[in-house]
Amino acid sequence: MISKILIANRGEIVSRIIKTCKEMNISTVAVYSEADKQAPYLEDADETVLIGPANPVQSYLNFETIIDAARQTNAEALHPGYGFLSERGTFAEAVQQAGIIWMGPSPQVLKAISSKCYCRKLVDEVQVPVIPGTLDLVQNANDVIDYGNNHVWPVFIKLDKGGGGKGIERVNGENDADEVFQRAKSIGEMAFGSGDCYIEEIVENSRHIEIQFLADQHGNCVCLGERECSVQRRHQKIIEEAPSLVVTKNDRSMLFDRTVKIVQKMGYYGAGTIEFLRSEDGNYYFMEINARLQVEHPVTEYLTGVDIVKWQILIASKKTLDFTQQTVKFDGHAIEARVYAEDPETFIPSPGTITDLKFPEQDPKIRIDHALKANAVVPPYYDPMLAKVIAWDIDRKSASNRLIKALTEFQIKGVKTTIPVNLKILKSMEYQEGNIDTSFIDNSL
Amino acid sequence: MEKSVNAIMPGLCARVVVKEGDKISKGQEVAVINCMKTEISITSESSGVVKKVLAKEWDDLQVDDPMVIIETEE
Repeated sequence: MISKILIANRGEIVSRIIKTCKEMNISTVAVYSEADKQAPYLEDADETVLIGPANPVQSYLNFETIIDAARQTNAEALHPGYGFLSERGTFAEAVQQAGIIWMGPSPQVLKAISSKCYCRKLVDEVQVPVIPGTLDLVQNANDVIDYGNNHVWPVFIKLDKGGGGKGIERVNGENDADEVFQRAKSIGEMAFGSGDCYIEEIVENSRHIEIQFLADQHGNCVCLGERECSVQRRHQKIIEEAPSLVVTKNDRSMLFDRTVKIVQKMGYYGAGTIEFLRSEDGNYYFMEINARLQVEHPVTEYLTGVDIVKWQILIASKKTLDFTQQTVKFDGHAIEARVYAEDPETFIPSPGTITDLKFPEQDPKIRIDHALKANAVVPPYYDPMLAKVIAWDIDRKSASNRLIKALTEFQIKGVKTTIPVNLKILKSMEYQEGNIDTSFIDNSL
Repeated sequence: MEKSVNAIMPGLCARVVVKEGDKISKGQEVAVINCMKTEISITSESSGVVKKVLAKEWDDLQVDDPMVIIETEE
């Protein structure tokens, strides 16, 4: 069994991973940049290593200094968390070459699935519908015009290597195809090192439904249910819940079948998520695979009682899943609200120093994953997420009331937060009735 | 008259989109700051010619740090 893990990340996810490691008697190494010297979670780690300056390229994205930190501390394994290097095949490969266990899918799989067109083709081959569009890259604006004229306008130009909601550009028709194509290409080259693009049709009033799965290294794959993540701003999630109001029993078992087919065809092992888009008429289309632990994983942990981080560690240790699809139980309803350091009206980031902090009253049905303390600095260099508040209860209404109570009691002063938006969403009639889709924030608030 | 265009948010300089000698107009974007993974556009409050570019990609910026110097028309 693994005895020491280095966590190559920052923020709340470091605390989250340390918590499971403690339960499993595994020692932990946390790394930090100069901007995170005072980060509260560093106190929870057994060892800490400074890996560089605030600029993430020189610290949290720096292969060499992170692998050196693992060598220095004799860490046997590396957990990449989410974001940063978590889905970077070349990093996973460098980690393995250094003799360190990588907690995630194999480098070969990560490299292949970093191409969205590769995934779309593979999924199409196993007869699972993908969002209508091209399976191959488009080479120029004429390809876009041909597609639009032969199928439908408007369409999205998407980056083959894109992610995080970046590089999704809408083309309204023939006239703006060239301009949008060039823009997408240059965003891709700057942000992802590749300007390769493909086309996806726009699925209006769609809902974002994703399936969490665990796959071991012996060919077993079990789905841990769906999460609905339709409430988004700028293509980024803000409220997530499970179960989804629109996923029927039949839908669920179909989505589980599709997920297992895709995972096995890819040769994927580890924890992962397959994102589907559900159209208004109830069809589900493959969107993408997230090859990492996800921010919203606590929602699933609440419903199933499965510790996903624990299974990431066990799968990396070549253990076999000790449960099957039939034995996984889904109990009650869970909702997560992400609290960002942003202006609740404009969503403009709000870095600064936390002057005052008051957590909600302790409640066994409320989980708060965070990296907060009074006087902590919220640096401008990284993701704005401050905390996740997750509520569980027997049904959706009770879970949402519990979450509203907790968010109302949660006081963070010194930086602006999205708590007021979270509350506005949860209290809205549309949300309470479940009338949500991916344009909810733009259209209803 | 010389005027500086300053950072309005802390963060890392994502890019400077003008070069020395460029003629720019009021409201034009001169640079972009990456603050918490969001790109914030930095625009000039006056028209003029770019005299000096002070910021470069990945510079660590605080609020009010000068990024570009403009020779204004007034």
